[in-house]
Formats: sequence, structure tokens, C-alpha cells
Amino acid sequence: MRVPKILAVPLAAVTLIALASCSQSSGTPNAEGGVLRIGTSYPIDSMNPFVAQSDYSYMTFEYIYPQLVQYNAALAIVPDFATSWSQSKNGLTWTFHTVPNAKWSDGKPLTAGDAAWTINESLKYDNGPTANSAGVLAHIARASAPNPTTLVIRYKVAVADVLEQMQQMSVLPPQVWAQYFTGNGAGIKTFQNVPPANGQPMVSGGPFELVKYAVNQDALFKRNPNWWGPKPHIDGFGLQFFSNDDAMIQALKDNQVDFIGEYTPPTAVAALKRAGFVVTTTPSLSMKTFIINTNPHKTTHRELLNPLVREAIEYATDRQQIIKTAWLGLAEPGSTIIAPSDGTWHDTNLQPVPFSLAKANELLDQAGYKMGSNGVRIADGHPMSYNVIFPPDERGTGDRTFEIMQTDLSKIGIQITQQNMDDSAAFNAISAPNSKYETFDMAMWDWVPPVDPDFMLSVLTCAQLGNNSDSGYCNPAYDKMYAEQSTLLNPAARRALIFKMQQYIYNARPYIILDYPDVIEAHSKKWTGFTISPVMGSINSLSIQTLLNVHQS
Amino acid sequence: VRGADYVIRRAGFALLTIFIAITINFFLFRVLPGNAVSDLARVPHATPQLRHALTVEFGLNRPKWLQYLIYLRELAHGNMGISFAYQQPVSSLLLNDLKNTIPMVTIGTLGAIVVGVGTGILSAWRRGRPSDHVSTNLAIAFYAFPTQFLGLMLLILFGGLLPTSGMENPYAGVFGPESEIARLQDIGLHLILPALTLLLTLYGEFTLIMRSSMLETMGEDYVLTARAKGLSDRRIIARHVVRNALLPIATLIALSIGWIVGGAILIEFIFSWPGIGLALWQSINQRDYPMLQGGFLILAISVVLLNFLADLAYFKLDPRITQ
Repeated sequence: MRVPKILAVPLAAVTLIALASCSQSSGTPNAEGGVLRIGTSYPIDSMNPFVAQSDYSYMTFEYIYPQLVQYNAALAIVPDFATSWSQSKNGLTWTFHTVPNAKWSDGKPLTAGDAAWTINESLKYDNGPTANSAGVLAHIARASAPNPTTLVIRYKVAVADVLEQMQQMSVLPPQVWAQYFTGNGAGIKTFQNVPPANGQPMVSGGPFELVKYAVNQDALFKRNPNWWGPKPHIDGFGLQFFSNDDAMIQALKDNQVDFIGEYTPPTAVAALKRAGFVVTTTPSLSMKTFIINTNPHKTTHRELLNPLVREAIEYATDRQQIIKTAWLGLAEPGSTIIAPSDGTWHDTNLQPVPFSLAKANELLDQAGYKMGSNGVRIADGHPMSYNVIFPPDERGTGDRTFEIMQTDLSKIGIQITQQNMDDSAAFNAISAPNSKYETFDMAMWDWVPPVDPDFMLSVLTCAQLGNNSDSGYCNPAYDKMYAEQSTLLNPAARRALIFKMQQYIYNARPYIILDYPDVIEAHSKKWTGFTISPVMGSINSLSIQTLLNVHQS
Repeated sequence: VRGADYVIRRAGFALLTIFIAITINFFLFRVLPGNAVSDLARVPHATPQLRHALTVEFGLNRPKWLQYLIYLRELAHGNMGISFAYQQPVSSLLLNDLKNTIPMVTIGTLGAIVVGVGTGILSAWRRGRPSDHVSTNLAIAFYAFPTQFLGLMLLILFGGLLPTSGMENPYAGVFGPESEIARLQDIGLHLILPALTLLLTLYGEFTLIMRSSMLETMGEDYVLTARAKGLSDRRIIARHVVRNALLPIATLIALSIGWIVGGAILIEFIFSWPGIGLALWQSINQRDYPMLQGGFLILAISVVLLNFLADLAYFKLDPRITQ
């Protein structure tokens, strides 16, 4: 017999309401109405949740579709469409109680049955058209709705991050989608899911409804009149897409947009502040990595498998200089694969190693790699000279970082050369040949992980070779720990194991974590009420707080 | 008969060129390192199922020759395929992009032709005078400026006075009424900076070629004869020099117009103009093969077709070709 254990109580709903109102200025009523114009250089790629990859697609889903839960500003899970939830003792059954009497924007009832329908239909096609959401629904056996306000999800195995996964699952309106979940599901991915041509908005179950969408141009939203939660202060908002940061910043200065987020470059900060804009920064979950191939089957430059070499490279990495020069101070020094802004999941005992060229030289001497006449050390008969694969994501700050590392590494007898290639070619070069990771030496790239550490930990597992692995790292002992942490229902026990995994990677150094860049965003003084988050900034895919709270000053 | 032979030969050559372009378009992007699946599957929550599903869905698990035959068969039926990234028909996506690109690039290109030919004529007419020096040096300077530099300078200089990004104010008409005239005015304002950048980038080439062609023509015996007959400079230039000097410009104009459908990638990128150039740039990054094949096919057809028309125009303008 399963005994439900209450994890969240209606008090959490009270917390949410308190959070929603905390950014309102005390004693003065908010200026109601207006349209917040948001600029971004990262467009929505699709409005179909089974096709979309872009951050801003998921941000849009957060505001137009119900999610069972959301994050608060402290990155704790709080209620959203589900007001409370419980799990069975063995962790295999989760029961969510949803908002009663909720409606979709077209007036149809929005119930727990819709959530169950979304889960079950997505599972039915998860080897094909709905594979995009398979990760979020991993290990679910079936969902059911015994009544309109109760959702029961049954898992095949206990899963540690059920709530974090449910935060990323949008409940879809069956009255729109059911027609595509038939036969082989061929229509699921080709359905555009955009406002109909008759000028009517899309069916929405969130605080806003999408009224206009033009590919690579803009997406406009109005308040959903049937929204079941607290009423937003704004009449609507718009996302305008820019193909480059310069144009986006200029548009903010020219009053064509009110807010720019996530991809504001550090070099723009001073000028924006001088121009009278509010610039907000916060440490992010993202990290910049210097990747070293640790694959034991590596066919060339096998000296990189020597831990002393990788340690020497880390000692020769001047993180302070990188942060000062490349990031103009807007980043934190890197240490482990879980960023400090991820709260208690980050192991604070793991500190960046200090910059010391003397120590780096000592380690390489200890490894027996003698300095050549041209200032480049010789390892196993060949110079210690390596190509660093460099995708476009790293341009700008990454170029400065590379130059600093190149200069310092040359002082310890290691020569590195920047090898520019686009994302697709870079991944191909790293995983060559045929996902065996045998030929690449080094690379620079980044990760922008979700809040729960499961994903970031997963990218270093053997299962991700040829998939999300950009290092070729594969270690059965690490994989075993990864599998175990994903089933630990006790947060303290899971945290302890995740600390152990961080230590493992810290020592093995498939990545040298260079830094954790800040989220940088700017907005006009005409607006206030933003709640900045370490993922995407204020307008994000984690919660609906900002656009419920934001209002004219 | 000789004329008909000429036209048939040129038409055959144009068709062959298009077929070769189709084939190259298909294989070119597939021999590049990387593939569409690795790009689309490298995201949070990616699973091996997603990677496999995408590979099967895109038909990339089939041999390349089979993919090529399927592509040719579909193309023969007018089907350009489904975009990997957007999951929408390529033809409708590209049609939307083309509708955005053509007005901007047409105005910029035609403006460049008019300004370039005009300044070329004036330079040649005023050869050696200060106006010639100014005009020629300006043309060389603008011809030499990288497009992105020129675009960014205009964006910074005119920011605040003119719209610097997008094609229209997206909010008008949604959060308030907007008449069709007001909308057209708005699009017109948005169009100024990108079209001006294109005009300034292109016109120098026309100036220099027109000037050189004019000077060559002005040395011809028939021009000397016209002078001896006492015709005015204006009449000689207009009736005898310009008309003959335009011959070498014809090919350049045809080629420039042919490139109109290709958009102006850098300009569309700088001014966030949602045209075909920007779409192709994004498709290259995403390894969106159907979009790339469709986009480059349209580009190839338009360039070949315009070249063919230029050949026909040459045939009409210069009968010596068939002699």
C-alpha cells in the first residue's frame, strides 16, 4: 500500500502570492497597462513544443501554457497549475492537485485531465514525433486524472527530479492538439501552432495569449482574459528578434524596445548605464569550459591523458585576468561543473586552482616533457602543440580568453592554435571519427544547463557519447554514480553523491571550468518589477513572475 | 536562323547550368563537416531517441545517392521539402522571405544602378575636373568599404532618426489601429537604411565601369565626327556616347538583378531584415539541408535566368554577336 507523503502544502501558494507581490513598490499602486517591448538576439525557432529548441520558445510556452510547478526567485519549486502535490513512499506515484475551475482562453475547462492527456499522448509517440520531450517524461509509465483536479503520475522507477521535470512540461489544450495525435503522429511536428489567420489568438492556458507571430521577426502577446491566476499589470508584451547584439542595443537606446536580456554583451554595460538605462546582472548557471580530450582510446597526442598535463594547463589558466579582460568583471571564476548560483547543489569546497606558471612548469617537468629549443616542450617525440576547436558561440569574450590562455600556455612550453568552425562542424570534429572522440585535442565551448544538476551531470556520461558529450569523457564509475543520484529521493543523500561526482570531474579535468558568466540585462527606467534569474535573466522559462509583476514606473 | 540557334544554345546552356547547380547544392552541404541532427540534438533533454528519430525523419539514414534521387523526384513535382529546423514546407518559408527581400534589394540595386550610371556619365563628361575627382574617389571609397562596416555606421548615425531593425513596427495594428497607408509608410521608413547601405555598397562599381566605358566611347571616331558636325556636348553624350557605353553595363545590371533574390546577407543581418539572405545564413548554421537546397536553387535559377536574358539583350543590342 502506498502512503502519500505530503511534500508541498497550500502554504506554498501563499508563498507564491507573496513573491508575486514582493517587487511591487510599497504603498504606491502600480501603473496599470502598457505593452512591454522585449528585444532579444535569440529568436523563437518554433511555437511547436515538439520542434522548438530555442530558449525563447520555452519562455513563450511558460507564459501561454500551464506548467504544474515553477521556480521562485530562490530557485525553489513552488506551485503553479498544481497547488500541492505528494508522492508515495517508494517514489513511484506522484499525485498533483490542480487549480479548480480553471479555463483555457477559449472558455473550455482546463483540468488535470488535460495534463494527463498531454503526458500519455506524448509518451505514445516518444520514439518519433514527440522525442523532443522524451527527456522530460523519462521513466513515466502512465498518467491519469481520477477527477478534474487530481493528476496521478506513475513512474517505472523512482526519479529524484520529478518536480524539476514537471516544471518543463507544458500542458497542451487537447481541443487543439488531439487531431494531430492520431495514426503515426505525422502531423504532430508539422503543426505550426501559431495564431490562426482569422486574427484570433492561440488557445492559451497561461497569463498571456499569443496574438501574432512572424518567423524570425516578432511575437506579440495580450493578457488572457480567462487566466485563472493573478492578473498581470501589463496589457501585453512583445518579443522582437534581432540578428545581432549591436542592433538590439541600438534599438534600446532609440526607444524601439524597453528591455533587452540574456545576450547583452559586457562591453555594452558602461555605455548603457551612461545612457540612463537600468543594467542588472546576476551570476548565471552557465559556464565556459576548456575541454581536454581524456578518451583513453585517443590516437594522437596521448600525453593529454596524463593527469599532470591537464593539471599543469589548469595552473597556467589565469582566471582573474580572463574575468578582468574578457568579461570586464562580469563573471565568476570557474571550479566545478555545477555553478555556485545553483545553490546547494554546488560544492563550495572545490575552489579554482591558483594561477601559477611556476607550478605548471614544475608539473610538466615532473611528467618528463622537456622544453624544446623553440620554447615548445616535447612529449613522446612530438611538440606539445594543439589545435583548440572554437565554435562561434565563443567569439568575442572567448577570443580574449583564448589569447590570454595562449600567452600563458606558451610560457610553460605548450602551443595552442585556435581552430574556428561552426557549431555543427565543431561537434563533428570533437566526436570524430563516428562518435569515437579519438582525434581531437582541445576545444572551448559552454553549457547553459537547467536548474536541476541532473542534465549537467549527464553530459559526462558514456551514454552521451555522440549525443551531448563534447569531451569524450567516459567512466563507468562516474556513470554508476550518475544513475544512482537520479533515483535518490532524499535530497541530502543526493546532494552528497552529487558533490562526490563534482569532485570526480574536478580531479579528472575533462573540463577546466574557466568561468561562470553573469546574466546581463538592461531596461528603460520607465519599467520596474523585474525578477532576475540565473537562467535567461528576468524573462525566462522557469517562472511567470516577471511578466506578472512588471509594470510602468 | 542564326538568331534562333543562338537562343536555343543559350537556353540549353542555362538549363544544364541549373541542373548542375541543383546537383552541387545537394552534395555541397552534405560533404561539409557536421550534420543537421548533431545540431538539433545538442540541447538539454536530448535523448538517443531524439537523435535517432531526427535521423530517420530527415531521411539521413538512407544512402546519399538515394537521398539525391528522392530529392530530384520531389523537385520534379515542385516539392522543395520540409525544413529540418522549422518543420514547415521550404517553399512557403522561402516565399515569405523572398517577399521581404525583394522590395529592399530591388530599391537598393536599382538606386545603385541609377546613381552609379549617372555619376559615371558625369565623371566622364567632367573628366579631370574636381567633380570627377570627388565622384571617382567617393565611388572607390564606397566600393572598398566592407558592407558590415558601412551598415553599422549608418545604424549608429541614423539610430533614433530612422528605424534600425526589422521590417515594420510589430506593435502597430495589434495594440492599436493602423491604416494600410500608415503601415506602408512604416515599412518605407524601415526600408531606408538597409536599401541605402546596399545602394552605397553597389553604386561605386557602376560609376567606375560606366566612366571607363564612356571614356572609351568618347575616343571613337564617330564621336569625333559628331563634334566636327558641330553637335553640342550634351547631344553627343546623350545620343552617341551613353547609348554605346551602356553595352558593358548590361551584363553587370543583369547579374546584379539576378542577385536580388539572393538578398544581401550582411545587410539583412545588420538590420535584422527578415529576408532570404538571413534565412540562408541561419540555415547554414543549422545545416538545414532542404532550406539550403531550396534557397540556393532559387538563387541559381534567378542568376542563370537573368544571365540568359542578358544574353538575349546583348543579341538585340549588339548584332555583331551572331555574325
